[in-house]
Amino acid sequence: MAVPAPAPVIGGENAAPTPGLGDLFVGMLQVALSAFGGGLSAWSQRIIVDQRRWLDDEAFLTGLTVARLFPGPNQINLAIYVGTRFHGLKGAVVCLAGMLLVPFTLLMGLGCLYFSFHTVPAIDRVLSGVVAAAAGLALSMGFKILPAYRHDRMALLLALATVVAMEVFHVRLVPVVLVGGPLAMAWYWPRSSDATPEG
Amino acid sequence: MSLSSFLPLLANTCHPVTLNDWGHLLQVIWEFLSLSLFSLGGGNTLLTEYHHISVDQFCWLTPTQFADLYAIAEAAPGPSSMIVGLIGLGAGWPEGPFWGLLSGVMAEVSILLPSSLLMVAACLRWNHMAGSPWRIAFERGLGPITLGILFSVGLKIVHTSDQTAPALLISIVACGLMLFTRISPLWFMVVAGVFGGLGLVSR
Repeated sequence: MAVPAPAPVIGGENAAPTPGLGDLFVGMLQVALSAFGGGLSAWSQRIIVDQRRWLDDEAFLTGLTVARLFPGPNQINLAIYVGTRFHGLKGAVVCLAGMLLVPFTLLMGLGCLYFSFHTVPAIDRVLSGVVAAAAGLALSMGFKILPAYRHDRMALLLALATVVAMEVFHVRLVPVVLVGGPLAMAWYWPRSSDATPEG
Repeated sequence: MSLSSFLPLLANTCHPVTLNDWGHLLQVIWEFLSLSLFSLGGGNTLLTEYHHISVDQFCWLTPTQFADLYAIAEAAPGPSSMIVGLIGLGAGWPEGPFWGLLSGVMAEVSILLPSSLLMVAACLRWNHMAGSPWRIAFERGLGPITLGILFSVGLKIVHTSDQTAPALLISIVACGLMLFTRISPLWFMVVAGVFGGLGLVSR
């Protein structure tokens, strides 16, 4: 096609040259520290796509899909996707280090302070408030993705069965995934009418 | 160390297992290594399991400590899944800060290593599996299971964190603010911390 693409495309004229390992480290560190208090996904997009132009929107969304599909924290998996894309396993290690090294060191420092001083009454009182707010964040996670399933009765039934199994019968996570996963996959196996390419 | 998995009744009353330092560390590494590949839809689905292991099964933490560490991991910069490092720190802390930090680092490496290696393989092979029916069924089917697990996680954290009516009220308000506004959660944690400091939230 002769028409230039409006958005920067990897390999296109507007795309940045392939980032080196040092660039990847600094970029991921920037993502990790920008996302103080949440919103990591929005910050990754802003830094990786808009500022540094390592990926176009489509490549970024593909990365997000793969990151959510496979086990592991989404942000960590996204960092691995970016690193692997440019420098294979070495790139993945560098991106992981950029994402984790500084925040993890800081968190271990906070943890040491916590275990040393958490019995001090004033600190315990402040924490009791912070903990209640943080529990609210945990409570919101399910509600946040609920609307995506509101027209799918089978999905709601599967989710309800999962909650009942875990809350009422105290079934642990691994059996829930090993039994519920294959059942749900069988139900959602693509029908021939879905016109999906054969794998 | 696997005694309580054969006798589930024991799991509810927490009996600490006496181990030497290295045995303790290996136990931490093994527990997190074996969970890594079961984290669906992000790291948060593992929180009930972290709670079970660290509070009920091995008594690394008291329920209050678990709730505190969850809050610290949420408030600190970086991925909140780093709570695993804090749990590891708590597991090793009774043996001193050195063992605590070593155990924290090893716990984080253990939870990330298997899933990260799988992710590298997936990225390199993605073009071959993007249209596979296995991938489509996995993505659609595991979504609802993840939804159910996240609700269980929310209930578990609220149950562990909130012992009084004011605490529960703060959680419900924070949940509502998360869902209906774009205010950074850091702000509600700061405000709730001030309420706590004033003695309005007891536990």
